[in-house]
Amino acid sequence: MRIRPFDFKAATSLADALNQLDQAGSNARVLAGGTDLVLNMKKKNILPSMLISLHPIKNLEYVEEKNEMIHIGALAKHADLAIHPILEKYVSILCQAVGLIGSWQVRNIGTIGGNLCNASPAADAVPPLLALDAAVVIATLHGEKTVPINSFFCGPGQTVMKPNEILKEILIKKPLKPSAGCYLKLRRRKAVDISLAGVAFQAESDPSGQRIEQVKIALGGVAPTAIRVPDAENCLVGLSIDDAFQKIPMCADKAANAAKPIDDVRATADYKRTIVNVFVQRCAQHVLTTLKNYRGQS
Amino acid sequence: MNQLPIHLVVNKEDYHLFVKPNRVLLDVLREDLELTGTKEGCGLGKCGACTVLLNGRPVHACLTLALQVDGCEITTIEGIGGEKMHPLQEAFVDKGAIQCGFCTPGMINTAKALLDENANPSEEEIKQAIAGNLCRCTGYNKIVDAIHSCGCQSKKKKGGIK
Repeated sequence: MRIRPFDFKAATSLADALNQLDQAGSNARVLAGGTDLVLNMKKKNILPSMLISLHPIKNLEYVEEKNEMIHIGALAKHADLAIHPILEKYVSILCQAVGLIGSWQVRNIGTIGGNLCNASPAADAVPPLLALDAAVVIATLHGEKTVPINSFFCGPGQTVMKPNEILKEILIKKPLKPSAGCYLKLRRRKAVDISLAGVAFQAESDPSGQRIEQVKIALGGVAPTAIRVPDAENCLVGLSIDDAFQKIPMCADKAANAAKPIDDVRATADYKRTIVNVFVQRCAQHVLTTLKNYRGQS
Repeated sequence: MNQLPIHLVVNKEDYHLFVKPNRVLLDVLREDLELTGTKEGCGLGKCGACTVLLNGRPVHACLTLALQVDGCEITTIEGIGGEKMHPLQEAFVDKGAIQCGFCTPGMINTAKALLDENANPSEEEIKQAIAGNLCRCTGYNKIVDAIHSCGCQSKKKKGGIK
């Protein structure tokens, strides 16, 4: 399977990449891991005139704690993020999700920045980042700008980024109170398949572990972009953990109602909606049980 | 479309090559270096037949542009074992984990990376690791057995040294 000819430039730094991208015009694309871009070039879905490769840039693969924030470089690979100690400690939901992307081969070269910029409605990294209220830092020729993840995506394959901008890093606020998260994804195969539906569920209790203070639920693959479902979240906020267990079915119904899935080659809309309901219940059970156990330990 | 220079270390040997941007690592390995042990199955990153080790980690050679891995270390099936077969290769033969053999180079590379990372993986960990390597002949049980037996062997060896 041949790829149509194109020009190739290797960027030595982010600034160099931005300059080259600006000069190259709108038919140039940025290459990170390439697991999706090269595939789409093979399939002739994307026919760029030039690729600007970020592979020589080694200082964008970091995961760092700075005060109350976690910074993830856009070129960090899924396989590294899935087992990163800082992420496992604070935001294990993200580790769970990126650990389910593609196959080991894909996770070893695919990057989180690529997963976001590709803007697939079913991207696995997105629902956890929505549920964590993350933000992304976009590098432009005139400096950097920070965009909340919930306003980053415009539709399938579309983001707010202009053709001459590059995603630099992802910012996540560290949870300060007892928190737990769960990501579940439905696939037709047990591995190496994109998700039919993904549910991310992140909750925080008060420091004593009695009351649910915050719930964030995000759904992937069941709307033009991944979405938050505030009505479902509000069912559980403010309740004691034991009361919250009772409200799980109501929360799941609201989440399923808020989903806007379509019939496609992978599954029917009805099926995806049912799955959202089931997965929200399973996630909620898991997260509430984890929070309850924290209380037991403290 | 100009050819651009790259330096690859393939199976511990240095290669300085000129390649066109639209060529993937798989083509360069098979056509320029004549290392035809690496197979092209689907060419779309689904089957894992083209799996090689990039700096020790399994990746799809069919979805990786050659220019993208400039300066990297690549291991293909030809670089595994030497005069004698690698214990993994022996285990695959002993356990009957090879039938047509098309998936085997990729399968062995993935398994080697797994054992390098985790000397004694559980059955579940083996299945997770090779999830991206399809085999249409064996039904996987014998492959899992072979990798598992190799893991157990390396554990025994470590025990012996102590």
